[in-house]
Amino acid sequence: MKYFAKLIILTLLIFSNQSCLKLEEDTSSLLTVGQLNNAGDVAANVAPIYRNLLNMHIRPHFTRTATYGADDITTWIGGNKAPLRVFDRFDYGNGENADIIWLPHAWDFYWRTIYYCNTLIDGLKTSKAPKAVVDLADAEARVFRALCYLQLVKTYGNVPLIVDGVLPTGKEERATVLQNYQLIESDLLIAEQSLPKPGTEEVGRASAGFAKTILADLYLTWAGWPVKDASKYPLAAAKAKEVIDYNYYTLLPIEQLWTLAGGQSKETIFSLRYATDKSITGEMATAFTFHQGLGFSDCFPELQFFRDFPEGPRKNFTFLLDIPNRVITGGVITNKNPATTPWDKSDRAHPMYRKFVLAEDLTFGPRPASFRPIELYRYAEVLLIHAEAQARGGGQNASSLEALNQVRRRAAGLPFAVANPTVDVTSATPNEIVDEKGWELAGEYKRWFDLVRTERVAEMAAKRDPAEPVTLLRQPTEAQYIAPIPFSSINLSKLEQNPKGFRIK
Amino acid sequence: MKKNYLLKKQLWVAQILLFGFSSAFSQMTIQGKVTSNADGETMPGVSIIVKGTSQGTITDIDGQYTINASSGQTLIFSFLGFKTVEKVVDNQTTIDVSLVEDATKLDEVVVVGYGTARRSDLTGALTSISAKDFDKQPLNNVSQALQGRAAGVQVTQTSGAPGGGFKIRIRGANSITGGNEPLYVVDGQFVDISAVNVNDIASMEVLKDASATAIYGTRGANGVVLITTKSGSKGKAKITIDAFSGYADVTQKLPLMNAYDFALGVNFAEGRDPNDPNLPFSQAYSQAELDALRTNGGEDWQKRLFQTARFNNAQIAASGGNESTDYYISGNFYETTGTVLDQYFRRLNLRANFNTKLNQKVKVGLNFNVRNEVLEGERADLGVGLSFDPTTPAFDKDGNYNFNSLKNVATSQVNPLIAPNFNSRNNNLNRLNITGYFNYQITKNLVLNSSAGVVNNLRQNNRYQPIISSRNGLATVENLYATNLFNTNRLTYNFDINKNNNIKIDAIHEMVQERSNTAILEASNFFTDLVTYKDLSIAAVQRTDTRESNRELESFLGRINYSLYNKYLLTLSMRADGTSVFQNNKWGYFPSASLAWRVSEELFLKNIETIDNLKFRVSYGQVGNQAIGVFGTRSRAVINQAINYPFNGTLSTGVAPSNRVANPDLTWEKTAQINAGFDLGLYESAITLSFDYYKKNTTDLLLDTQLPSFVGPTRKFVNAGEVENKGFEATLGTRIIQNKNWSINATLSLASNKNKVLALFDDVKAIEVGDRIRENTFPVNPTRVEVGLPISSFRGYIFEGVYQTGETDGTPGQAKYRDVSGPNGIPDGKITTDDITTIGDGNADYVWGWNWDVNFKNWNLNFLFTGAQGNQIYNLQRARLMGLGAEQFHAVHADFNNRWTPTNPSNIPSSRNGTQILSSQFVEDGSYTNLKNIALSYNVGDELLSKVGLSKCRIYASVENVFILTKYTGFDPESTATPLSVNNQDADVGIDYNSYPINRSVTFGLTISF
Repeated sequence: MKYFAKLIILTLLIFSNQSCLKLEEDTSSLLTVGQLNNAGDVAANVAPIYRNLLNMHIRPHFTRTATYGADDITTWIGGNKAPLRVFDRFDYGNGENADIIWLPHAWDFYWRTIYYCNTLIDGLKTSKAPKAVVDLADAEARVFRALCYLQLVKTYGNVPLIVDGVLPTGKEERATVLQNYQLIESDLLIAEQSLPKPGTEEVGRASAGFAKTILADLYLTWAGWPVKDASKYPLAAAKAKEVIDYNYYTLLPIEQLWTLAGGQSKETIFSLRYATDKSITGEMATAFTFHQGLGFSDCFPELQFFRDFPEGPRKNFTFLLDIPNRVITGGVITNKNPATTPWDKSDRAHPMYRKFVLAEDLTFGPRPASFRPIELYRYAEVLLIHAEAQARGGGQNASSLEALNQVRRRAAGLPFAVANPTVDVTSATPNEIVDEKGWELAGEYKRWFDLVRTERVAEMAAKRDPAEPVTLLRQPTEAQYIAPIPFSSINLSKLEQNPKGFRIK
Repeated sequence: MKKNYLLKKQLWVAQILLFGFSSAFSQMTIQGKVTSNADGETMPGVSIIVKGTSQGTITDIDGQYTINASSGQTLIFSFLGFKTVEKVVDNQTTIDVSLVEDATKLDEVVVVGYGTARRSDLTGALTSISAKDFDKQPLNNVSQALQGRAAGVQVTQTSGAPGGGFKIRIRGANSITGGNEPLYVVDGQFVDISAVNVNDIASMEVLKDASATAIYGTRGANGVVLITTKSGSKGKAKITIDAFSGYADVTQKLPLMNAYDFALGVNFAEGRDPNDPNLPFSQAYSQAELDALRTNGGEDWQKRLFQTARFNNAQIAASGGNESTDYYISGNFYETTGTVLDQYFRRLNLRANFNTKLNQKVKVGLNFNVRNEVLEGERADLGVGLSFDPTTPAFDKDGNYNFNSLKNVATSQVNPLIAPNFNSRNNNLNRLNITGYFNYQITKNLVLNSSAGVVNNLRQNNRYQPIISSRNGLATVENLYATNLFNTNRLTYNFDINKNNNIKIDAIHEMVQERSNTAILEASNFFTDLVTYKDLSIAAVQRTDTRESNRELESFLGRINYSLYNKYLLTLSMRADGTSVFQNNKWGYFPSASLAWRVSEELFLKNIETIDNLKFRVSYGQVGNQAIGVFGTRSRAVINQAINYPFNGTLSTGVAPSNRVANPDLTWEKTAQINAGFDLGLYESAITLSFDYYKKNTTDLLLDTQLPSFVGPTRKFVNAGEVENKGFEATLGTRIIQNKNWSINATLSLASNKNKVLALFDDVKAIEVGDRIRENTFPVNPTRVEVGLPISSFRGYIFEGVYQTGETDGTPGQAKYRDVSGPNGIPDGKITTDDITTIGDGNADYVWGWNWDVNFKNWNLNFLFTGAQGNQIYNLQRARLMGLGAEQFHAVHADFNNRWTPTNPSNIPSSRNGTQILSSQFVEDGSYTNLKNIALSYNVGDELLSKVGLSKCRIYASVENVFILTKYTGFDPESTATPLSVNNQDADVGIDYNSYPINRSVTFGLTISF
């Protein structure tokens, strides 16, 4: 009996010893967000901003969903492309089709990037890292925040202003387009001061040239629809000129432009990059290849745009007329016999965009993969912004004509810096410059915004080839200039859908 | 005669008085056999006591006994669950007794939370299921034993996959995002339901109302299932061997198009004329190709994907004991292949239960269970497989796989046979459960019970996708190591204040610690397929992801049971729970009270012979739910491969802000439940009825809310809102015939639960919490949580058929939807997102089960019907097969043969354009009646048995899911209504998408004991 009494006491002792758990979570493995003690912390907080934009652009078809109204791209009449066709045929504008798939892709990714930028800007305010590191990171965060806001306001119209230092609740309402522009401008004015001059930035990072280019793009947009503040044209021209005056950027020979190396050349103002170990796979080539070539047939040129495109080397490097026929045997992509089909006899009866498949990788998986960096801005665009803004703002001058002619010379396969009377023009209307830009940047997620800001969407839609399989539901008007805000966000917030919630000033 | 009786009565009264001198009477040896009245089987372990003495014995393995008694003494035969029989000893030396089952089971001891109680003393709502209720049905899963047998417990078979898939809900779903899985307690230990071998179970108790569950505090809100495993009984060792084998097929296939019809459909959808000489390269069929397809029929993918599964189960158990020690040891082997290409599952289980008395006051025991599960092979993706192009043969003429659809039709996915035939998978799970207890009778009234245990789970999931089926080889290795330690100490004080007043007090302290470590290793870019997941180091790209988590729970509990005149019963309990997962509000307090009145013990009912039991019960209590993940209240920085960026080509590590808004004030979700019920037994319990009405209100819901993407973090846990569940459940037991040759019993259980969201947070009327299932497919969640509706309500457009020729407001052949609303809240003549509305509900109005047990001599027929009424299913599988959704190009479903054309004015849209995937076109009635199981068994007669030295030999055959009566057009209304492919099974209830259909299986088996 005593033995058991001892046992009990012993047992109770053991239990009472540990009978109070701490009931605390072990948080030692958690990083505290926004704590930026040193340069390493800062660098780690910058990386996700870039990566998030890369993740978004890896799927160009999703990213571009809301811009299919442009005349440089159309899509497959069948298959799963219904969301793309909604925009290709202007089946939106009064709130309809806000709930389609792929539309939230760009919206969500831009906002997440803004969130990362806001968190970084906020964290830097109390950072113990060296001032130079802090200033640079602040400028990087601002340049990307500005980029995202500009893309959002171009695509969906005015959006809420979510900035650093304020924790949003979800009850925010939409600001005006003008307020959005002003935020973008103020961020970029800070960023262009702190970012390094082109060529001095670390590999793959943003430079002051990038900030100035976005600023030029912002002013050009500001001057057009919907705010139409023409006083911004000279600012756009001047800002583009500052980029030109770095005398750093150049135009590559057209045959080099769309190669793997062309994506990180001196023509690149800013591009998103892949890892050399191929651990991140791009879908650019998949989206732009037809199914018969093992692609997804998401995106290809409209027939009229292709016909209007001036002949020459640039056209040859822009479009692919012999459509590849491929099959997978034993897990490996191989050519069928015949290896190609003429475009008009192909699956989609359209040419393909060659610029996006030139650097394709057929050895990586069952579909054509892409590892070429994705260009967000090329020098050619800066030249054309300068040419157009000058033509609209202060009047054409030697510098703006030279900028235009440099692009035209390269397009013709000639040295861009050497005047050549066979291709040079001595004057050009602003719309001619916009069209040149359309050809130069065909398929590059730019044309739609140019048509909107210059209010030429209807003009181009009217030219659409009636043989296009995707037929227009309506002739576009101003109602189609901005996309519906994705329903998922409307549903969870107080945001008012377009057109009701659209506010310019 | 009467006189004689009186005389006898006087005699044994005298005997009691003279009990000290009883040895003076002349003793004789009496022997006999005890059998069960129900099936005539011999009953080992029956206790026989000479009335008024301490003299007694128990029957041996063959039901035989020998005892010394004197003429005129009375023998009392008793056995748990059977009516006690008294036999007066005359001059006979053989007394054979047949015991009748006590259907009222009033004296049966049942397990309740932290202890046991006599059934008659229960004050809460509790359903007991003993092995006898389900042992006629060959089982490999605990959930099968529960299905259809406990009112208020809805068991849904969510998948026919090997080793997979049941969902169990007790009295509906309380929580929207906090989890609704009941708590499982096996021999006092908190474990996963899949950790116990169903063949080892002696009994299960389902605790439903708050008075029964409140003792489990923060984990009791979803109901509790207490499982007691078998133990040995005194006597010589008894060995039981049970083996069954069988085969299974999916209950039905889907009506899909043949290749020719499909090709016509493609030409139709693409607007191609088969006689056009300029037919394009693909996505069109020429007349010659059509003719060939008509002749050869094309590929039948269902034939390729489905196969007959085979399964084997073997169990061997030994049990026995002596005066102080008993033991039960069992080993189980189960293996099966899948009905969907191509998986193999195997399970090994070993259990050992020991109990021993160290002396009169101390009893100790050890329960030990170890289990190994292996799943091999990759399952074909049915979503892709069913929707694949029937005009593309699986293999080309050289025998190589056709990788994609030859004409890029139907879907751009790869041949569905590639993954199961090339990918390798090996999932290995080892579970170890050990519980020990120590029971010390400190004084006559005071008992200390202390138990502690450990649960170890080691899971290894290995997978390799070779170069042919992935981008250059992809291997994944997941290692999960989880340890759960617990300790419960209980002091019980039991005191008879006087004859009419009894009080029992429990004081309990409990601690639970859970710790887990996860390592996920992923590697890609293999140059060879030779090493697979076994050596990741040869891969060019390697990633690791490891994490560690800890959860602690500490509780103090008290309970008082008070009984007055054995008629009025009161139970009060209180539990305080503290948890580590909350930051500022760690402790929750959960009280309960319940009252019961045994009306049948009152004098005014005692003389009414038809009523042998009537008890009214009423209870109220609060329980909690802490079902959020570790770090769920915190905003954790994101660190993973997907945020690292290759500035200079090499990935540089990133840290991103959290996707979640922190909420340090988060606390317990609370469910208050009121329950009122009665238990009635009529005609010696030939008819028993239990009825309960309940109402549960869950407040401070742990809501995992979505925020619009512009906020940045898109998720936040909040305590808000209120959900109500109310309903009733009834169990009707009927003993239809009970005589020498026949015994027929039937138990009907019926439950109705109405679930309703009463409030969300702030002024929010609806939130989305379900999975997007495939974000790529549905931009709008197919379900949402809306105030005034059940937790899961379907969202979509109202389908109103197809525009017919002559209708001017739409294109003939295109789908027509109802204009419900517009930007200003009134119909605007346009079909926009304003017209998305509630179009259905996946919750059933009634679920029921009806179990019949028919015995005729040595034969037994046991069958179980289960059913649900009033639930709808969102058949998004059919939507996909009709060619809708991001991954599908063309329809393969046979309904498309009847598409609208000018000459066939049907209501099946002919075009993808303008056809919504989320619409009432795909909402179907999911009500069903299923003959869930029918089993026929034959017990070999005693004479034959004794010749071969066996005590029992049973041969049986059984069919599961015999037939399903339903209007539902998918595979079956059960598995497809609750997909495992989504995370939140309660917010997405009723969604059919990529589910694994259930099977019809045929089993043959044999049980022998000796």
